[in-house]
Amino acid sequence: MAEKTVCISQQQTEPIKISKWKVREGITVSVGRPLLLFNILGDQKAQQRKLKSTQAGTIQKILAKEGDVVNPGEGLLELSACSHPTIMHDMCAECGADLRKNDIVGSASVSMVHAIPDLKVSEEVARKLGQADSERLIRDRKLVLLVDLDQTLIHTTNDNIPPNIKDVYHFQLYGPNSRWYHTRLRPATHKFLNNIHDFYELHICTFGARNYAHTIALFLDGDQKIFSNRILSRDECFDPTSKKANLKALFPCGDNMVCIIDDREDVWSHASNLIHVKPYHFFQHTGDINAPPGLNKQENDEHGGVDLTKIRGKVIKKKIDTVQSDELPRTENDDNSKENEIYPEVQKLDNSQEKCDTLEENGTIVISQEKIKPSPEKSDIEKNGVNIESQENVEKAKGQTEKIAEIGNNNNEKTESEGSPKPNNENEEVQTDCNEKETMENKESSHNETTENNDINKKAGSNEISKEQQQPNLQPNPEENGKKSDDDLIEIEDPDDYLIYLEEILKLVHKEFYDEYDLMESGDVPDLKKVIPRVRRHVLKGCHLAFSGLVPWHVELERSRAYQVARSLGATVVQELDDRTTHLVAVRPGTAKVNAARRRKHLKIVTPDWLWCCAERWEHADERIFPLKGKGSKNRHPPPHCSRPEHHRDADYPEHQAPGARKRTPSGRFMDTINPLMSFSRDDIADMDKEVEDIFADDSESSDDEPAKPDAHMEKNISSESFEDLFADDSDDEPAKPDAHMEQIPEFVEKNISSSSDSEDSMTGEFPKGFKRKRQDEEADLLEDSYVSEEDESPSVRFRRGETVDDVLDFELEDTQGSVDAPDEVDDGEWNMMGAALEREFLSNN
Amino acid sequence: MFYHISLEHEILLHPQYFGPQLLEKVKTKLYTEVEGTCTGKYGFVIAVTTIDSIGAGLILPGQGFVVYPVKYKAIVFRPFKGEVLDAVVRQVNKVGMFAEIGPLSCFISHHSIPAEMEFCPNVNPQCYKTKDEDVVIHAEGEIRLKIVGTRVDASGIFAIGTLMDDYLGLISN
Repeated sequence: MAEKTVCISQQQTEPIKISKWKVREGITVSVGRPLLLFNILGDQKAQQRKLKSTQAGTIQKILAKEGDVVNPGEGLLELSACSHPTIMHDMCAECGADLRKNDIVGSASVSMVHAIPDLKVSEEVARKLGQADSERLIRDRKLVLLVDLDQTLIHTTNDNIPPNIKDVYHFQLYGPNSRWYHTRLRPATHKFLNNIHDFYELHICTFGARNYAHTIALFLDGDQKIFSNRILSRDECFDPTSKKANLKALFPCGDNMVCIIDDREDVWSHASNLIHVKPYHFFQHTGDINAPPGLNKQENDEHGGVDLTKIRGKVIKKKIDTVQSDELPRTENDDNSKENEIYPEVQKLDNSQEKCDTLEENGTIVISQEKIKPSPEKSDIEKNGVNIESQENVEKAKGQTEKIAEIGNNNNEKTESEGSPKPNNENEEVQTDCNEKETMENKESSHNETTENNDINKKAGSNEISKEQQQPNLQPNPEENGKKSDDDLIEIEDPDDYLIYLEEILKLVHKEFYDEYDLMESGDVPDLKKVIPRVRRHVLKGCHLAFSGLVPWHVELERSRAYQVARSLGATVVQELDDRTTHLVAVRPGTAKVNAARRRKHLKIVTPDWLWCCAERWEHADERIFPLKGKGSKNRHPPPHCSRPEHHRDADYPEHQAPGARKRTPSGRFMDTINPLMSFSRDDIADMDKEVEDIFADDSESSDDEPAKPDAHMEKNISSESFEDLFADDSDDEPAKPDAHMEQIPEFVEKNISSSSDSEDSMTGEFPKGFKRKRQDEEADLLEDSYVSEEDESPSVRFRRGETVDDVLDFELEDTQGSVDAPDEVDDGEWNMMGAALEREFLSNN
Repeated sequence: MFYHISLEHEILLHPQYFGPQLLEKVKTKLYTEVEGTCTGKYGFVIAVTTIDSIGAGLILPGQGFVVYPVKYKAIVFRPFKGEVLDAVVRQVNKVGMFAEIGPLSCFISHHSIPAEMEFCPNVNPQCYKTKDEDVVIHAEGEIRLKIVGTRVDASGIFAIGTLMDDYLGLISN
């Protein structure tokens, strides 16, 4: 925008003497700001007067010095008019000009304040503010942390739940008759926030509505100490499916000091400065209530969460018998499981579960004790140790009852490893001993059931996504403490302890960042987008892994997710065992690799859970917790939250790939990268127009010479249904020329297949599959019509009769490997089928 | 600025209220419908002082509702450019601060805050303060500001303010 410069001149009738300038060159003045003090020459009273600015703007040049005498009409200073750098409600916040009138164009386009999208500043101001922000952050040795709410720190449901669960907030957002929200904070959230607050400036970044976000913020941070008003909600998001778009506006100087914690990667377009958090799941049958439209995530639905219907039953029972003996919960569990056929695993587990409970309680006691302790680091380590042990025991007991004897061993290990003299240690040892005794008892009783329930258990177990998510499925047990303090509140055992690990990860990232910053002398700032993947690569650095049974034969090792997870953790993965191999990750015992590995002493054999655990916690988990025993592990695939692919760390990270408009602007202007809606230049629009015209032109061309051939790139997207439609249309139009169509079809199909095999991604796999399904449907019709001749038969008919259909199977198998020539093999069957369908069409028309 | 002016309003009354308390009902309905609203022309209606006349009711054909034209006097608050007002700070951020003058919200850009006052994001609550901490403006603080612009919509008024003038800024009692 061209800047208008105006000259403010002396308006008095008499010459004046400037006694003092109140402004300097380069500063911004608003209307009414005093510019200078002056005396009117010849005025006897010698009263000092003040000249106020009549215009807002920036002072370019001061034309007269202090003490000068200025005659009427002479210039005093040059002022460039206000460029409206800050706009609120379409009004310049500097000069108050109404920007809806008079075609005044403001340059402000960046909405920098989270909750007030109406307030916009110009890129220049934004940059200045951003610069000040990052300088301040470095001065305070802090980083920015964007915190997601749903399933990261909290879990909210709209379902009906009992009103008396401890640590659950209930609220309504939209008046007394609106729906209720029930929010559970992740265990240790407050502690996490308070601790991490010293290292990070926290921002909330959620897809919840503004109202919701601010309500939750109140729960998390009552006195606004932690989040202040840095809350970005759905109402302020530029893009309903991505949070990425707002980053540039909030951090105009770049996001190199921004770290993100979220339970979904997709909304950040898999940014490398994202720490993918294990989703928190508390309420059963509820996913993320604020998931962006179309990206609804169901993956942890149904599986995790606490079944609150059982709690209700429990409450009633609890009221009936106030005396809690040790034997009571056991009988209760037995009753429940007999009544409830849906949870067969509970039945099997009840014996061992008791032991787990005591162990878990053991863990929690330790935590609460250590909260008081002054030395956080030491206690953290120990706490982790205990937690791992207890968790481990829970898993074991849950998964394989026959391994109870080994748990006993583990308990021994535990006492060994924590043999250091600590005040609470004796306590633990005693309890561990008790546990061992119990374990022995349980072992005997559970052995009878084990064989019967193994099959059911397998089925139930195959559903589980990760072991931790399964845990809440265990029957929640009210804790002893809860009962003492308040009879009406139910405290639910929540095994989720992820925030403890997350805190460690974040502290590590912070340390790494500032270590690097200190090394850089030039005052450069390291980039968290590089620092975070590097921290992650330190986790398993120096480990040489080999996989056994983890990667299917037809998948290349480098393409498997397990490989990518291991690589992102810094481990080296080799195909075969060699001298340097340190770990063998095996799904089941008895494979050649496992047997070979058993002969090597230094080699550790672990289940894939070990790898997933490392990926989830970003720490080198203890291998002893994940020994390969008995049946092996079922978790062949990484849980979604640790399946992050390795990032292309060398290539410069694609800053904002989500909105397509970004790439269109070659100018590279800052403003263009902020708001996709504002970034269409005239060229862009011309481009778009041209594109549309091209499409229309193509259409008319192709429809001229061959109506059945759609445009090349449209072809890919055409589903089998639309094929049929096309054919149906044609046959309606010209039923008299069947031959011409018969000729056309093979060509058409061929073309389709070749074009679809050109596209590299999953299209190839899915496209023919859809065909096959369609084919089967049509097959049924054909059989009814009984017009089928031997030649026209498609493979599925033969398959139904039990004949071999090698070509189809081959095709599918090869296709998954990305073979290009595979589609040719299916050609025959494919257009035979098409021909048959067409034939039928004609016959029915006749 | 506050005005005491005569205004008119039409009250739509449901037939269920036709009875001895009818006029009372019209009056209470006027209070609830009018007080606290904002019109672009007159500003915020603060309080109805007197009801001058309740005209003849007109029954709407086909509905049974009756319309009463009511003339009343009310105190209204209409902000003007250049007006100096006392306000309560609501939020402070790096771009400026938001303040409220009763029902009117107002934004003050940090360019319109005296340059000697700096934004301090680290202290809780966040504030603008001078180096020697003589003047500290934070949320809930009372300030005197001058309005430099107003945005008048059909439903509300928003103002832009400044602290750049004599005797503006924190009000110290």
